[in-house]
This record gives sequence, C-alpha cells and structure tokens, in this order.
Amino acid sequence: MSTDKHSAVRHTAGADGPYWQALAEDRLELPRCEGCGRWHWPAVFRCGECGSWTQHWHAVPAEGTIFSWTRSWHAFDGSEGIGVPYVSLIVELPQAGGRRLLGLLEGDAAALRIGARVRGRIAVTEIWGERIPSLRWNLVDGGAA
Amino acid sequence: MSAGFKASVSVAGVGLRQYRRARAPLPERGVLVRAIVDACEDAGFDPADVDGFVAYGDDKNEPVRLMSDLGTKELCWSSQVWGGGGGGIAAAFGNAAAAIASGQAGAVIVFRTLVQDDSGRLSGAVMRHHLNDHILGAGLVSPAQLCALRAQRMFEHHRVPPSVAEQLVRASYYHGARNPNAVSYGKELDLDAYRSARWIAEPFRLFDCSRENDGAGALLMVSTERARDLRKKPVQLLGVAQGAGKGWGDLLENDDDYASAGFASVARRLWAQTGLTPADIDCAQLYENFSAQGIASLIDHGFCTYENVAEFVRFDNLIAPDGTLPINTAGGNFAEGFIHGIGMAVEAVRQLRGESANPVPNAKTCLLAGGPGAPTVSSAIFSNEVVS
Repeated sequence: MSTDKHSAVRHTAGADGPYWQALAEDRLELPRCEGCGRWHWPAVFRCGECGSWTQHWHAVPAEGTIFSWTRSWHAFDGSEGIGVPYVSLIVELPQAGGRRLLGLLEGDAAALRIGARVRGRIAVTEIWGERIPSLRWNLVDGGAA
Repeated sequence: MSAGFKASVSVAGVGLRQYRRARAPLPERGVLVRAIVDACEDAGFDPADVDGFVAYGDDKNEPVRLMSDLGTKELCWSSQVWGGGGGGIAAAFGNAAAAIASGQAGAVIVFRTLVQDDSGRLSGAVMRHHLNDHILGAGLVSPAQLCALRAQRMFEHHRVPPSVAEQLVRASYYHGARNPNAVSYGKELDLDAYRSARWIAEPFRLFDCSRENDGAGALLMVSTERARDLRKKPVQLLGVAQGAGKGWGDLLENDDDYASAGFASVARRLWAQTGLTPADIDCAQLYENFSAQGIASLIDHGFCTYENVAEFVRFDNLIAPDGTLPINTAGGNFAEGFIHGIGMAVEAVRQLRGESANPVPNAKTCLLAGGPGAPTVSSAIFSNEVVS
C-alpha cells in the first residue's frame, strides 16, 4: 500500500496540516515552538506556555519506544481493511521531546512489550474504505532489551 | 476557587425505563417522556412545572421538543455537557444546580436517552464524537481500544495486578444478580466464562466491557427547600466537579498521567468543596465503561493507589451490605444495564432513600463518578442528610 499516499491527504488547513503534508511526501515532521523550544503534540496554533504563534516543523526520525499497546481481536466496524488481530501502538519519540505518536505494529510481535524499541515507516491504513497515511512500526532487533 | 458548594439543591424524583438493546417499545422521545413523567410522579410534582433540562453525552433530544408532551409552561434552562462519552454525567447535576441556585430555573430534569433505532450503537456514537485521522490510522475505531491502551499501561508499567479488574466485575454482577430490574438479574457471573471469554482488545475480554441498552433515565432536581415539601425525602447534592487538569484532555494519547482515568483535578476539587475524604463515602456508583477504567477511577479518587490497589479492590470489600465501599449496588453498567450511565445516578438516589435492591445499611453518602478516561470527566457526592 505504498502508492498514492499524496492523494490520501485530507487535512491541510488544521494546526497539524504540515504533519499530513509531510507524511504524504514520506517524511515524518513534528512541530516545535520557536519561542520556548517545546515540542507540541497535538499541534497548536499558539504555544500556551510562552504565547508564541510561531511553530516550526522539524524532520524527526521514526524511532522510539513502545509506551503502550493493544491487540484488537474483535472485528470492529471499519477495521476490515486491516484485518484482526492487529496491534495498535503508542510510541514515545525521545528525539521529539518524548511526544507520542500512534501507529500499527508490523512484523514479528513475539517480544511486544512496553519499553521495547521500535522503528517506523510511513504507510497507509484503510478504515471504512478511506486511505489514511499512518505509521507502521517494527520492533528493533526483534524487541531485544 | 474557594471551598464550599454554594448551591442547596436536591434530587426529588427519579425515573428509569430500561429495555434490551434495540427493543424499546417507543422512539427516543417517547421513552424519555415516560421516564420524566415517572420522575415527576415519584416526587409528586406536576411535569408541566418542570422548567429546565440538562443532558450529557450528545443526547439527541432537544428539550424544547418535549414541551408538548409534558405540557411545559415555560422553558427556562436547556443545556448539555460537552463530551461524547459518559464523562459529563455528574457535571449534568452541576449544570442543574447552577441553574437553580442562580434563579434561572426552578425545577430541572437531568436526563439521558438511548434508543438504538434512533441513535445507533452508543459505542459508535461516542467514537464519532472523538475520531480523527491520527487515531483511525492506528486502527483505533472504538472506545474499547482506546481504554485498552490505558489499561495495558496500568497493568504492565504501573504493575496493577489484572486480577483486580475481575474483583470489580464480580461486585457489579453480584449486585445485578440481586436486582430484579437488572439485565443480569438472577445470573451470577461465571468466573470461568469471564476468564475464558473472547478477547475484544487486549487486555479486555468480553465481560470487561459494559453492555448497551435502550431506555431513558430522568432525575428531578429542585432547591432543597422545595424538595422538603415533595413526596420523597430529598437527596441532596453535596458537591460536584467537572473538567480536566493541565496535561489531560483530548491529546492524541499524550496525557501526562496516561494510565489514570483523568479525575486527579476533579477529585481534588470535589474533596475540597465538600470537606469530605474517601473514608466518608459509604457507597459509590462507579461508572465502568471498562473494568480497568473503574479501577483507575477508584485510584484517582484516592480510595487506593497503584501500589495497594489489590488490598482495597477485593470482592468482599465492594459488595453490600458489609463491604467498606459497596460499588454499583444496582449492578452498574456491566450488570444492571447501560443507558450511558444514567442508571447509576438513579441508583445513587435510590440507595440513599433505602430503596435499593442491595441496601447499604445506614448509608449517608454516595459518590457518583462519571465516565473514566474521557477527555472531560466529572464526579458528584449525594447525601440523605440534608445540611441546609
């Protein structure tokens, strides 16, 4: 499912518009406040900490650790395009101030655990027939500590 | 904010009409009107004199549309608490109290209605409120999955033993089995069935998840002074708090205290407002959308901690009549039925009137904790000892 990510961009006007635009171009970018250096996620228009209206988007490596996970077994409406069972992850990104991103685990899940290192790539998830750019994570070194 | 709850308001009447999911005999408005009239009859109050309404959880029944059925003389207050889940249930009583104490309305119905033929599945409706492409892209399409992520963190990282979830579920089913109005009346929870039930989203199996029902619940609130002249003994609202602390909210799973239920700031304000502590609470109606979220709610309110949760959350400790904190004495969302939690508010009042199917002897206070894990949550304390 690596073909037409660009056509799947549905949001460009929100505070997180640059995130979606970058994903469509196969890059991961997150916003950091120019005023105080804080990484904001979810994206903001204005930094509530220092009042700055300037947020700069930075390329961030898709590398982090698993913060939490769930494996879905029930075939929830809309998830048919993924197919159960599948593992959803929250991943903490140390290179983006510890902000967390979501995604799906792919590959070997035997060593799945909170704290395991993962590396991501950009793919597309199909939900209710819609194609949504999203992250796919793999356990690094099979999840070795 | 200064301590002390400034309103003297009480619940004077309750009504609850519950049916199996997709089996309501009437569309939503009809079921709701029946519940409102039930609440008014319970109080000995003319439905035409109700002048205010509050709902939560994206209820579809705009109060102005009820006026012809109720004979409403004048609609003075019509509001709803933000949020798609059950986080706003206790806050709805706060809205009603604000209306009455400020003189904007005199008799306010707090309600929630669900009839699947009209509003669809509740789980789907809650998600439609909260969905965005960030969570959809991770295959997260239901409340169960989002709550499962928090639960997994609580069990695996904070070392809460998963067995406490079973204790909580057992307590709800114990009470439901003894409540003739509960969906699970007469049916004990089969522990083998609980433990071997199919996975929904790890760590949740089927019976860790609340059910869904058709129906409506309504509670009539008036000033405590006015309630004294009505049919039933007033059940006073001692305090109520809603909201979210900094670092909690609609944050794409970036909440600071992620494995909690989000009540830290709400509970702190509720205790300060009432001058009470967890030790002063005689029973609790603890909204359990999912088992682990009920546990997190108890921790957030200060009944126990991540470290000692297994000492407090024991089946014997959670059941009437003798537990330290009987919870969900009508069966709760798991076993009584689930009309987005409104049955729990009705049970809080019935318990304090001595009308519960599972009475807690000499209970004077009851905590109502709203939908845990929601971006905005709320809690309230009710009492049968009228203080002003």
